[in-house]
Amino acid sequence: MANKTSTHAHPKHLYHHFIDSEQQFSAAKMGMWIFLGTEILMFGGLFAAYIIYRAWYPELFTMASHELNTIWGAVNTVVLIGSSLTVAMAIKSAQLNQKRNIAINLGITIALACVFMVIKYFEYTHKFHLGIYPGEFYTFDGIEHPKANIFFSLYYLMTGLHGIHVTIGIGLMSWLLWRSLKGDYDSEYYTPVEITGLYWHLVDIIWIFLFPLFYLID
Amino acid sequence: MATAEASSNMKKVQVRRYKPEENADTNYLNAESGLRSWLLTKDHKRIGILYLIATTFFFFFGGLLALGIRMELWTPAATFIEADTYNQLFTLHGVIMIFLFLVPAVPAILGNFFLPMQIGAKDVAFPKLNLASWYIYMIGAIGTIFVIFAGGIDTGWTFYMPYSSTTGGAVTFMSFGVFILGFSSILTGINFITTIHKMRAPGITWGKLPLFCWSLYATSIIQILATPVLAITLALVGMERLLGIGIFDPALGGDPVLFQHFFWFYSHPAVYIMIVPGFGVVSEIVSTFSKKTIFGYWAIAMSSLAIAFISFLVWGHHMFVSGQASLANMVFSFLTFLVGIPTGIKMFNWLATMHKGSISLKTPMLYILGFFFLFTVGGLTGIALATIAIDIHLHDTYYVVAHFHFVMVGGMVMAYLGGLYYWWPKMSGRMYNETLGKISALLVFLGFNVTFLPQFVMGAQGMPRRYFNYIDQFQGFHQVSTIGAFILGIGFAMVFYNLVKSLFNGEKASANPWNSRALEWQVASPAPPHNFDHIPVLIHGPYDYHKPMADFQLGLAQTNGHEPEMGTHIEADKEVEMKD
Amino acid sequence: MSGHEHHISSDKLLLGVGGALLLLTIVTVGVHYLALPSPWSIIVAMIVAVFKGTLVALFFMNLYWDEKFNLMILISAFVFLALLVLLTLIDTLFREIPVPSF
Ligand code: HEM
Ligand SMILES: [Cu+2]
Repeated sequence: MANKTSTHAHPKHLYHHFIDSEQQFSAAKMGMWIFLGTEILMFGGLFAAYIIYRAWYPELFTMASHELNTIWGAVNTVVLIGSSLTVAMAIKSAQLNQKRNIAINLGITIALACVFMVIKYFEYTHKFHLGIYPGEFYTFDGIEHPKANIFFSLYYLMTGLHGIHVTIGIGLMSWLLWRSLKGDYDSEYYTPVEITGLYWHLVDIIWIFLFPLFYLID
Repeated sequence: MATAEASSNMKKVQVRRYKPEENADTNYLNAESGLRSWLLTKDHKRIGILYLIATTFFFFFGGLLALGIRMELWTPAATFIEADTYNQLFTLHGVIMIFLFLVPAVPAILGNFFLPMQIGAKDVAFPKLNLASWYIYMIGAIGTIFVIFAGGIDTGWTFYMPYSSTTGGAVTFMSFGVFILGFSSILTGINFITTIHKMRAPGITWGKLPLFCWSLYATSIIQILATPVLAITLALVGMERLLGIGIFDPALGGDPVLFQHFFWFYSHPAVYIMIVPGFGVVSEIVSTFSKKTIFGYWAIAMSSLAIAFISFLVWGHHMFVSGQASLANMVFSFLTFLVGIPTGIKMFNWLATMHKGSISLKTPMLYILGFFFLFTVGGLTGIALATIAIDIHLHDTYYVVAHFHFVMVGGMVMAYLGGLYYWWPKMSGRMYNETLGKISALLVFLGFNVTFLPQFVMGAQGMPRRYFNYIDQFQGFHQVSTIGAFILGIGFAMVFYNLVKSLFNGEKASANPWNSRALEWQVASPAPPHNFDHIPVLIHGPYDYHKPMADFQLGLAQTNGHEPEMGTHIEADKEVEMKD
Repeated sequence: MSGHEHHISSDKLLLGVGGALLLLTIVTVGVHYLALPSPWSIIVAMIVAVFKGTLVALFFMNLYWDEKFNLMILISAFVFLALLVLLTLIDTLFREIPVPSF
């Protein structure tokens, strides 16, 4: 199989079982999209639980949502939208071969993701303070509803799973940042940036739905 | 022939014939050696073998547990173990057979090995992910086995709430193990779909895709859409036990029936993850051993997709007596009947393929004939169970046990063994012993029927499943069933012996012992390290037995614009036109 | 297969989409403070969310220019999620004793 005579046709990043870079790129992208489909269904289980419980206890959801701070939720939404924008910019920079801008945009993205997690941290600790713990540790008595614990279980599960995804995203993005500083990505090869970007946008989309479902219903 | 301009979507390519090499020096087995070369391999064929070794081990382990169950049922109440141990035995048997054996069996072994070869690719789209999926599988599998030492688990493979949140034992651990196994299955699905879309060799249009690939495609769709829901459901079970989140646990205000919805949203489609790849194997073998073009190619291909889709609409048929709304019962019952349509379509097309074919009754074909008989019984009893009024009586009896063993063992395991024998020469480079193969096939068929036919009868008479004790009336059935289980066990052991023995003193296999037209048979046996040294070109479908063999051995005379390697002299002996 | 150029978004487009998303966020929070009567607040909020999600998918994730199969994957994921929800609802909404209790 070796094809030493024509190195130009076989760039370093191209695996032997692909015919050309384009095939490899579009395969990676499709693989990522399929993975995102599985993510949607994994979160989907929780969304389904949300919808079913909400249909059973609409009044609970309105009451309990009072305990969530709309302003901080909105701020976090803006923060994530901003980070989506910077990821898109990082990809564009790669396509235009502006190597420094890839790193800058990735850096901003990571910073915004961290801001998101910090705000989440304060939201969580504030609730713990009130006794709003997940599951059977729930001790808050400000909501007159026998199933208030379930609302907050859903809240913690859904935002928690989302938070795990943000954290993973920060990890992936840091790795991309490190490699882009080494100059590994350019207009010829930026597949990892592209598909991590897709992942990040999905995390954003999920938050776009979580935000109104939890913060905007009271 | 029109000029290039006239038919703009056709292009001319230079091809030449590449005859498969007999007795090639290097193959995928000896290209590299040492344990390291296996454990770090990215070759889809070797990963298939890794899966084969692991699943075979778990299959026999699960089988021993089954023999334990059957021996215990020789007499009512304690025969040689306690009720608690019995509960753990059937739970572990179910989990192992379903998650460790049936789900990965055909896709991860035969699919991994032959999907890339059938589409003329050098590997799957993501070889590293492929290896990762094996490691994830092993971690999940070892975790699952480890449960035995961590207190055992007695919930049954279905983990029903609220029992699973209150019983002792290692339920959390087990749900975590199965959670991990789910990811392995998802990665395989992602890999296969991308591979089929992106890696097909020139000329392999969707209409020339072997039906095995179509069935893996349908399976992968189910894997990626259903498995994540199982993952989150099991995560919720774990959370229920750790934090008491109360989504499913009625003691905390939750709804246990919701668990069943989520669980069966995965697990009904999952039964099709188990059987649909088997359908693909059947299509390949029926056509090859009837020496005839497959009848109704598109009908078979599309019915796989139809089954994949419908399988998502029927899960409620497991919940007729769960307290689910009557409206849901009726809707699910009706939708379940629909599954019979695409399944029937397949059956008729296979039979029509055999009609007037020149059928050769080699071992693989014997398994497939067994499949026809057993799967039909399994499918039809499924339809009976989908009828609400009947299911109220039969639910949770041995009738259900017999039903799903007829489809899972009588269907899937038969197809799997058929496929294993069929492709064994390509995988191992050796021929198995035909006489022994046939005897063991008959023994498996016989043992299976002796084991499970009585279970239909006692189930219909009211013998509940998962019971340690029973009334005397059922003892005769149970004893026949136990005897059958041992015959079946001997059959499986003979299959194992036959295949392993062939590795040592089997006759050397030729490249194409069945005279198949499919692409995987147009290379040496055992398969070469990178499958093809050329880029294969297909001008006929994979089942066109009326076309000469030479037409199926074509490859690009030039390798995709690169200059051919020094020293090779490539000469076109033909020019073909194909869709761009 | 080769010769296919990847779409490159202009700064103007990316910033425009980002701006639109910001605007929609402000709108949906604003509507929230209007406190519309019961079903309407969630309906408006979900419409805005779907709209925002679509913008991200089409222009940040490039589905607008991408091969159509990737769009199909996304849509089918939502379709199958809808199946999960709807078929479960025909049970949970139609039980004789509507709310689970033991
Ligand atoms: C024509 C197609 C089929 C129909 C209509 C059908 C129908 C059913 C029904 C109604 C039940 C529930 C019985 C009860 O619990 O009361 C059931 C159980 C089951 N079926 Fe099928 N089935 C079909 C095919 C299959 C296939 C192909 C498989 C596996 C390869 C399968 C595996 C199972 C299993 C494992 C169970 C029992 C699950 C448990 O409770 O442990 N079925 N089937
Ligand atoms: Cu089912």
